[in-house]
Amino acid sequence: MTDVLTGLARTVPAGVLVGLPVLLPLLGAALALLLRRAGTQRAIPLLVLPVMALDAAALLLRADADGPLAVQAGNWDAPFGISLVADRLSSLLTLVSVIVLMVVLVYAIGQGVADAADERSDRVRVVFHPAYLVLASGVSFSFLTGDLFNLFVAFEVMLTASYVLITLQAGPSAVRSAMTYIVVSLLASVLFVTVIGLVYAATGTVNMADLRGALAEVPGGVRLSLALLLIVVFGIKAALFPLYFWLPDSYPVAPAPVTAVFAGLLTKVGVYAIIRTQTLIFPDDTAVTGPVLLVLAGATLLVGILGAIAQNEIKRVLSFTIVSHIGFIVMGLAFFTVAGVAGAVLYMVHHIVIQTTLFCVEGLIERRTGTSRLDRISGLTHRSALLGVLFALPALSLAGIPPFSGFLAKLALLQAGSAVGSWVIVGLAVLVSLLTLYSMALIWGSAFWGSPSDVVPDEDPEDAVQVGVRTVPATMTAATAAVVLVGLAIPVLGGPLYALCLRAAADLLAAGPYVEAVLG
Amino acid sequence: MLAVLAAHAGLAVLAGLLAPRLGPRAFYVAALAPLSGVVLALAAAPDVLAGRAWGREVPWVPGLDLTVALRLDALSLLMLVLVSGVGTLIFLYCASYADRDSPLVRFAATLTAFAGAMVGLVLADDVILLYVFWEATTITSYLLVGLSDEDRTARRAAMQALLITTLGGLAMLLGLIVLAQQAGTTRLSEIVAEPPSGALVTAALLLVLLGALTKSAQVPFHPWLPAAMAAPTPVSAYLHAAAMVKAGVYLVARLAPGFAELSWWRPLLVSVGIATMLLGGWRSLRQHDLKSLMAYSTVSQLGFLTAVAAWGSAESAVAAALLLLAHGFAKAALFLTVGAVDHAAHTRDLRLLDGLGRRMPVLAVAATVAALSLGGVPLLLGFIAKEEVYTAFAEAEGTFATVALAGLVLGSVLTLGYAGRFLWGAFAGRPQPSGAEDLDAVPAGERAVAAQDVHAPGAGLVAPVVVLAAAAVALGVLPALLDPLVSAVAAPYPGAGEPVHLALWHGVTPALLLSVLTLALGVALVAARRRWGLLQRSVGRVLPQALDADRTYDAAVYGLDSAADVVTGRTQSGSLPRYLGVIALSATLLPLGGLALRGADLAPGVIVDRPVQIGVGVVIALAALAAARTSSRFAAVLMLGGVGYGVAALYVLQGAPDLALTQFLVETLSVVIFLLVLRLLPRRFPVQTRRSRLRRAAVAVTVGVGMTVLTLAATSVRVRPSVAEEFVARSKPEGGGLNVVNVILVDFRGLDTLGEITVVLIAALGMSSLVLTLRRGRPGADGPHDAVRREEPEVRAP
Repeated sequence: MTDVLTGLARTVPAGVLVGLPVLLPLLGAALALLLRRAGTQRAIPLLVLPVMALDAAALLLRADADGPLAVQAGNWDAPFGISLVADRLSSLLTLVSVIVLMVVLVYAIGQGVADAADERSDRVRVVFHPAYLVLASGVSFSFLTGDLFNLFVAFEVMLTASYVLITLQAGPSAVRSAMTYIVVSLLASVLFVTVIGLVYAATGTVNMADLRGALAEVPGGVRLSLALLLIVVFGIKAALFPLYFWLPDSYPVAPAPVTAVFAGLLTKVGVYAIIRTQTLIFPDDTAVTGPVLLVLAGATLLVGILGAIAQNEIKRVLSFTIVSHIGFIVMGLAFFTVAGVAGAVLYMVHHIVIQTTLFCVEGLIERRTGTSRLDRISGLTHRSALLGVLFALPALSLAGIPPFSGFLAKLALLQAGSAVGSWVIVGLAVLVSLLTLYSMALIWGSAFWGSPSDVVPDEDPEDAVQVGVRTVPATMTAATAAVVLVGLAIPVLGGPLYALCLRAAADLLAAGPYVEAVLG
Repeated sequence: MLAVLAAHAGLAVLAGLLAPRLGPRAFYVAALAPLSGVVLALAAAPDVLAGRAWGREVPWVPGLDLTVALRLDALSLLMLVLVSGVGTLIFLYCASYADRDSPLVRFAATLTAFAGAMVGLVLADDVILLYVFWEATTITSYLLVGLSDEDRTARRAAMQALLITTLGGLAMLLGLIVLAQQAGTTRLSEIVAEPPSGALVTAALLLVLLGALTKSAQVPFHPWLPAAMAAPTPVSAYLHAAAMVKAGVYLVARLAPGFAELSWWRPLLVSVGIATMLLGGWRSLRQHDLKSLMAYSTVSQLGFLTAVAAWGSAESAVAAALLLLAHGFAKAALFLTVGAVDHAAHTRDLRLLDGLGRRMPVLAVAATVAALSLGGVPLLLGFIAKEEVYTAFAEAEGTFATVALAGLVLGSVLTLGYAGRFLWGAFAGRPQPSGAEDLDAVPAGERAVAAQDVHAPGAGLVAPVVVLAAAAVALGVLPALLDPLVSAVAAPYPGAGEPVHLALWHGVTPALLLSVLTLALGVALVAARRRWGLLQRSVGRVLPQALDADRTYDAAVYGLDSAADVVTGRTQSGSLPRYLGVIALSATLLPLGGLALRGADLAPGVIVDRPVQIGVGVVIALAALAAARTSSRFAAVLMLGGVGYGVAALYVLQGAPDLALTQFLVETLSVVIFLLVLRLLPRRFPVQTRRSRLRRAAVAVTVGVGMTVLTLAATSVRVRPSVAEEFVARSKPEGGGLNVVNVILVDFRGLDTLGEITVVLIAALGMSSLVLTLRRGRPGADGPHDAVRREEPEVRAP
């Protein structure tokens, strides 16, 4: 079966396979800007994203069977031109991201963000679809590029689209919250450009495969400082302690589908960039970067989850759990062992899906009750048992309860940590699991148990998102159920999936095939 | 075995779906699940009792050594009989107990899922799989305890049970991972057969035992169990008496053959067990709620079980096996009795129940049998079990065994005391008030419920109790029926030789004498119950409250919540300047630390080409300083523009006119836009305190100096030629253009340019939408200011 599909994937030229996830959504965005009729505009992403998903699946099959696929943009040979590279990690993350983007698109259409009647919402729709496609392009672009400066460009594409989406239907107060996000992101961009400048100054190249060899010749002090600066730059996007403060302040103001995508994907792109750069171009600095990452991971885990416990709003609780659990992924990387990195990759896949799911469910709750505040919602299970199930499954998974995806990913990390004897971080990870369960149980006990509460009227009836309407469109529920099922598929496919993660991790730590594919 | 687990899963879903239609009768359907467990036990019994365990393996995640490995040996068989046998009766009982309006869907589905998790737990041979089912029981227990979710105490109890058992569970997971790594196998049976050793193994075992002790409600983790009585009574009977709480004891018994000889094992576990036994018994004697009485009695018996199971000799293993069965039958029967009484009288307060025994004679007799079995009265299974316990400890060597034996005898006396108190409270008539202080008298303002006030419980509520009591009698009279089972359970222990023969009468042995002593003291305790109650109250007043583990739990949760508030309040200030400061400092100090650690030369080849560059540099620096110092927004904008123009001038000097042109354009545009925005803003910046100014200055200087150092270091180390030289060389022949920058932008690195164009376009799109939205939304709001500001950094030359 896999062989047949891989053979099929081999019939497509590599340039098409690798370039499509970046270029097709941009083309779609351009079309969506030109063809503004509601039906047409909506059809474009609904066509583009499935094609991207198929393409990403084909990429994954190819990369897994034949090793990394490198394409030189404009046929300018590396390190002279720009390389796009799809290895196991890139294509796996692209695939998972596109699946999530597809489901959330359907959810957004169901919610009416993308498609509503009055003039104001109409304007929202016109902007939403192009911006969403540009975001999709930016995300896969970030995963697939093999060039440090191009990674910066990919980040900008993704971030600019995210600025548009986060302010899309905001009132003045929400714009002010979004400003935190935008200004911090801009500072991160400035620092990113700075570090690219420094890297170029020290080596004369920005091609990542080339940098591996070039940086090996650079004196240790400069190389280490560049590695650490890159960790900080990407750590801002990834929401690592102490660089995450912007996230819980800004994510909760966006409408549910936007937050859902941000929660699942944007921080993960940052973590991906840390993993890629630290394993590919700074392999000789792990003696220092490992412990540094470990400390950052531990602090992120703990401070993040304490933040979640202190919140009184579901959106904010969930936002803090994003932060906290980034610590799990970074912890896996920090071991710099195959088991650790494989655990990090598995955790990333799990977290993309589960965190998105939870924000989708939050949107359903808000739609139904009119608020996200725990002190004003109660007794949801009495109103809708289905909603209870849709929340409980991903919440248990997030808390790492077996047999769900979070458990497998956590188990992989704990085994990896125990194998290298990192008892402090392992103990901390276990503690954070307990506290995550506590935070989820606080939501459950408060919002889902108790006497059913009254509906809170829509605080901002002018914006496009209608809340507090008791009923939930079937499309939204169906999309949420679909992403819950995707989450459930992870443990079912746990054997082959983790085997793939192990191979991806071995690739990352060896890096030979990647460099060879790019530089020839 | 897999089929039985699948049956539980399937029936859980089915029961949930059928419950709205069938009502409580859905439990009859669900009862097929535990029944399948009974069938499995019967089918496997001949092989297992002959020493041939059933096994089944299906790989799950090979990379993590995670296998669905099931193994049915004698101990598992014993547990399976308890879990599924007692479970079947409880499911049937539920069909009569549950009201139509109780949350039946959740109840039926979750209870079935729990039964499945419990079966999985006792069958799991892979340590991680064991944990999977272990947590599954925790979660289902949480949902079942919180079944009356509109009741605040139920929610608190559910949370407490969840947190305490998950705390233990996670510790256990960690312990199991380490244990498996040290042993080189994840199979429980193999680990116990060839136990690893070393300091890590000890730590791992302690973690695993933490899981066992929390699950089985041992001191000091016990308070969750009495609190969990907020669950419906059949749930308590199943989870918190017969099945789930035995998981800890089961795990201790599982590990004991391999590890009981470790020096710390017996002193630790037996002490904890006996302490729990005494504390549970003591507390039990003070309860007025029949269910709470039973709950503390369960705590006490779990202590008893833990102590016996942990002893880990062949004799004690026999005793533990018998005790598990005896307690499972008796305690389930007594809980179900409480449920039946509650159902009939609508109260469980023993001070209010008056002479109910006359109204429900069958139930009273069956409950009496069960209570006496619990107390270890002859002719009942509990007696046989207790005899074996006494024998095992009496024959063991060492002073610790003697001390433990004394503790167990004392605990058994208390057991008889509360068994008697239960029977007296549930069924006996109230005596006339005598004037003397009686803690168990009808409280003021309440009215006793007399026999004539209640209806008799239905057959569906009585029959399961009778069956359980009958089992206690049958096995008590003919204990030899259990010979094969207990022999097989004891087989893995060192020193297990010939098959065990259980009998009612062993002759006059030390154990018998101890039994007589226990009975005598127990009867005395029941007879003197009023004076004993007063004594307990006075003792309780003297004990410090710090010893109350429940308060410790509350304080811990409160402490956690407060810590979360404090930490979050400190870090999440909401101040953007502070966030930016932290980020900028991190980006400076961390790399500088790296530089300091490994050392670096700060010797770039060329710093200044021409003297005029120094002049421009000074101008830029002064303009930046002025921008930072001025209090007028207008001046600040102009000064920033000055910085930009200065940089552009440097480009000109460097021979990059197109770059300089771009920079000039961007700066001019920025200044113009800023000036437009200034109309909407106050003329001056808000006044800052001196401290805040100093702090900002310090951050700015640190970042500036740090970045300079990094730049100097990075530009000092170039060894290779840069790709730029190749750009220049290939621009004309391959790119077809004389202007290198143009060729780079549109050809060599055209993909970058595509991205940047997208950025500009999408930014413009977003901006227009934002401006339109905000203008319609609230005219005159400060939104446009935000909107325009964000444009500036976007317009960036690639």
